[in-house]
Amino acid sequence: MVKTLLKKQFAEIFRNYFYDSKKNKARSRAGTVGYIVFFILVMVVLLGGTFAVTASSLCAPLYEAGAGWLYFAIMGLIAILLGIFGSVFSTYTGLYLAKDNDLLLSLPIPVGTIMLARLMGVYLMGLMYAAVVIVPAIIVYLITVPFSLSALIGCLVFLLLLSVFVLTLSCLLGWVVAKLSTKLKNKSIVTVLVALLGIGVYYFAYFKAMNLIQDLIANIAVYGPAIREKAYGLYLFGSAAEGNLLGMAASTAFVALCFFMMWRLLGRSFLNLATATGGSEKIRYTARREKQRSVSSALLAKEFGKLTSNANYMLNCALGTLLIPILGAALLLKGSTVVDVLSSVFGSVDTTAVLLCTALCMACSMNDSAAPSVSLEGKNIWIPQSLPVEAWQVLRAKLRVQLLLTMPVLLFASLCAVFVLKASLAVSLALLVLPQLYTLFFALLSLTLDLGHANLGWTNELAPIKQSMPVTVAILGGWGYSILLAGVYLLLTPPFGAAVYLALFALVTAAASLVLYLRLRRRGGKDFMEL
Amino acid sequence: MLRIEHLTKTFGDKVAVDDLSLHIAPGEIYGFIGHNGAGKTTTLRSVVGIQSFDSGEITIAGIPLRSDPLACKRQIAYIPDNPDLYEFMSGIKYLNFIADVFGVPADLRAARIADYAARFELTDDLAQPISAYSHGMKQKLAIISAWLHDPKLILMDEPFVGLDPKASFLLKGMMRELCDRGGAIFFSTHVLEVAEKLCDKVAIIKQGRLIRSGTMEEVKGDESLEEVFLELEAD
Repeated sequence: MVKTLLKKQFAEIFRNYFYDSKKNKARSRAGTVGYIVFFILVMVVLLGGTFAVTASSLCAPLYEAGAGWLYFAIMGLIAILLGIFGSVFSTYTGLYLAKDNDLLLSLPIPVGTIMLARLMGVYLMGLMYAAVVIVPAIIVYLITVPFSLSALIGCLVFLLLLSVFVLTLSCLLGWVVAKLSTKLKNKSIVTVLVALLGIGVYYFAYFKAMNLIQDLIANIAVYGPAIREKAYGLYLFGSAAEGNLLGMAASTAFVALCFFMMWRLLGRSFLNLATATGGSEKIRYTARREKQRSVSSALLAKEFGKLTSNANYMLNCALGTLLIPILGAALLLKGSTVVDVLSSVFGSVDTTAVLLCTALCMACSMNDSAAPSVSLEGKNIWIPQSLPVEAWQVLRAKLRVQLLLTMPVLLFASLCAVFVLKASLAVSLALLVLPQLYTLFFALLSLTLDLGHANLGWTNELAPIKQSMPVTVAILGGWGYSILLAGVYLLLTPPFGAAVYLALFALVTAAASLVLYLRLRRRGGKDFMEL
Repeated sequence: MLRIEHLTKTFGDKVAVDDLSLHIAPGEIYGFIGHNGAGKTTTLRSVVGIQSFDSGEITIAGIPLRSDPLACKRQIAYIPDNPDLYEFMSGIKYLNFIADVFGVPADLRAARIADYAARFELTDDLAQPISAYSHGMKQKLAIISAWLHDPKLILMDEPFVGLDPKASFLLKGMMRELCDRGGAIFFSTHVLEVAEKLCDKVAIIKQGRLIRSGTMEEVKGDESLEEVFLELEAD
């Protein structure tokens, strides 16, 4: 039974890898392999690469000081933080809000079996996040230190323990979110606020930790033994990865105990939480005169309604609206120092302008609400298809949401950059225009991708929001654009300066946007109606 | 009101609807019956314009669906077999959304919402999110939204599923009212007793082909509709 449920669960998560919903048939073997290789490359090269840099700066000094355990303890804690942060809201949605919970609970399947299958989905998500940190850490360690079988076994045990621990903590926090959700009225907004608080804490802890780690490396001879003495559990946890038998046994026992307690807690409450309809009071309707809106306004309001009612959608696809102004404010406060440092490193304000522009474009990639917007229509797709509206109007509303969420805040951040940079009028104009053009391009790209690879058959909204190909490719495409923008300039250092360079990039972006726009206008409607 | 001429729709090798022709005049309640997978839903979805078809012509109030789908959609309303509505909206927000799309003026929509919601005893629940609605409540909301812009033709796929007896009775009355005003109804059902009592005309479809159609008397003669249907299915 567990096997059957897991098959169903994984079929949903990995559906896009094996099935082409556009052509309504299974992908070719080459297509499937291509998809999987692409995903692995993204996770390993892009995300894993970042943590590999951190790991390499820590591993050798700590190992040479006899504190290899501390290296794994630090990397392990980062993995736990990232794993929990990445999967806590997915855990809540995946465990308690799956649309087929009622169906499965009505079948002669033990609740524990359903829970186990659901937990496997959560486990995979946590493992993915934790592995992005810990696998590079293990590789760096195995390369840095002389090879020993015990260390290899220790590393593998450490990875397993860490992933189970991330699962345990995610489930506990998911349970807290579920409990709170049954009491709250505006759960989406509250969830987003809590998540933002979490992000704030994460970054605060991250920056503090970076300072602490530097201090730690400098004084490892003093701190190492002190930490080992005062936080012996942490020592055992880290030493498990080095193949220390006591460390492995103690860590395994601790993780197993935590998992068992979490399992008991979830087992007692799963049925109630999975079938809860919300404890908020019934709102009694009182008639009032509603203003008549235009079709465009109605469709736009519908798209915003969808976004603001869904915490996962907001957190994953619209966070930039809150963070981009913070970036702008940070530029105003600390920007002059950054500009001075960059200008002295690269020797010109022009390069700094290109790098700031790159940062603005990259920040814009946080908002990709159009990327899952067609897929999120799900079983409601019959409504826009049957209404007397052009399919283009429906698609345009989805585009507008992303543009409205991004363009104004990006303009603010660009103005902050212009203010701080104090560059020529031409460069300043380019700093204002290019990010706006990029926003347009990114929205068009996001929508085009989802329209071409829409997944309407999801039972868990996380599938289109977090686990879909359009979202992944859109974000990577955005990063690729930013890397290209900075990379080409740094490599070629064109003689015509930043203003012309950015203007040329703006022209190319405008042309690419025009191509995507025309494609959407000509074929988008037909594609939408054929979904 | 609705003319379907030689409609054919295939899914791969399977012929879902095969050369089907039907004419529905203003004032008629037209029942559409057939076993599961006979092609009823495919036909309805084709008429609504959410399913492309391979060949044939569909005209609604004299407007060809292929050349002017929007004009056709303005004349009709559709209720699918499963009322999957926007669960993130409240009932009233959904109704206002539909009214906005159809351009129903504020005063008129307020009056209609008040009237239909009161009939279906849904008024108190209109501020609730649709996600909190039962299947029957969603079906009632779908019905109200279909009637909201006073369409000329309403297409319904199994409209009585999930409705309580009182709501079913109300719906039948509303269907007759609409037809008395010159509108038309085309709906599929498996409840043959309802079809027999309610419909002016009926069509029976089997494996995508229309096997009998006409007025209720022409189709069933002296037998019951159920007997005729079972005989035709057995052939």
